[in-house]
Amino acid sequence: MRYYQIVISLLVILLGSCNDGNRCYDSVDTLMVTSISINGFKNVNTVIIKGINRNDVGDTLVNDASSSLTKRYPLPLSLTADSTGFVLNVNGISDTLYLRHKMIIKLISEFCGFAPNYVLSGSRFTAGIDSVKITDSKVNPQSIAKTTNDQNISIYFNASAH
Amino acid sequence: MTRILVSILTLLLISSFPVLAQTKGDTWRYEGPRIGMDLSRFLLPTMQSAKRNGWEIQADIPYKGNLFPTFEMGMQWFDDKQSTFDYKNNGTYARLGIDMNIVKFESLKDHDFVFVGVRYGYSVFNQQTDNIGTTNYWGTITTSLPRHDMSAQWGELVFGMKGELLPNFFFGWSLRAKFPIAVTKDINMHPYIIPGIGKTGGGTPFDFSVGVYYRFPIFRSKTIPKPIKMGGAKHPGLNNENDPNNPDYGGSQSGGSQNYNRGGR
Repeated sequence: MRYYQIVISLLVILLGSCNDGNRCYDSVDTLMVTSISINGFKNVNTVIIKGINRNDVGDTLVNDASSSLTKRYPLPLSLTADSTGFVLNVNGISDTLYLRHKMIIKLISEFCGFAPNYVLSGSRFTAGIDSVKITDSKVNPQSIAKTTNDQNISIYFNASAH
Repeated sequence: MTRILVSILTLLLISSFPVLAQTKGDTWRYEGPRIGMDLSRFLLPTMQSAKRNGWEIQADIPYKGNLFPTFEMGMQWFDDKQSTFDYKNNGTYARLGIDMNIVKFESLKDHDFVFVGVRYGYSVFNQQTDNIGTTNYWGTITTSLPRHDMSAQWGELVFGMKGELLPNFFFGWSLRAKFPIAVTKDINMHPYIIPGIGKTGGGTPFDFSVGVYYRFPIFRSKTIPKPIKMGGAKHPGLNNENDPNNPDYGGSQSGGSQNYNRGGR
């Protein structure tokens, strides 16, 4: 029995030394899923989105020339400020959108580290935008997995302006 | 510290008298509280990338031969440096429970046993995270989460063995499945390691323990503890001819419940 114990003990130690390879298998990017459409079933032909005051090369978040009734894009929110501003150029006309939010940093897992988690609380926008609907105020690393008809915010543009 | 060491040595010396007086033909069975140290706590730092140090003492005492009320306590220091944050988690824990022997002792001198057991655990600990770095389109932030004092409760299912390698010195191991019951909430992070539980990353935490123990032989008896009846059908032909507790056994002992004496002569 004693030899049996020692052998099993060694197996137990070997078993205990196994690990999951120190890898991250979860989403680590926090992106707000945004849908864009124009009232009156008008097609969205071109969309260019940049962060406000971000005009350098490489600062363009979206540059989409395909034609569609509704488009969806994942957009990043500010890490340091309590609001984020975007310049949205839709069908050649530019508008500005500001979103208010609160952010906390939250652990995803030991090997994935931390990611920002936001709660959207309101919006402010220029005249070309008809309305902004916050459908899911919680923006976290899982938001990117939202399905086609699910998004954090929906932006509706005025048909007359576009 | 010196006083504690002297006290322990004195206790060891006193408790050894019955063994020293034991003669070759002696048929006493010696029992008593068993105290030991979990060696796996010292092996862990060599098996993981993070600095994980600690100690754990374990103690049990026989009750009615096959039951072993158990107390375990320990401390853990965890210092983890990941690529995007530094994490510290330190704390103290204790477990209370009982082990039940599931095999038959074969003779008066046989103290080797296989057991199943349960534990209730409680841990008080703190966690602190520094140098949390996050980057996205808008820039980079580096922040910290201050020290947060927390507690946790959990249950354990235990399976293991203990064997007497030398008189009164035991070696044993156990496998443990742990079931967290309650952990203090932290809005920023659930602790991914908890002193006494271990890693809580995914699914049921499993742990193992390998220990050495010393038994203080302060009780003695002339009976072998009866195996605990687990129910089920009786098998014909198993009359326990060699069991001194069996009324048909040729020895002079009377059967029945365990009859411990104090360890004197």
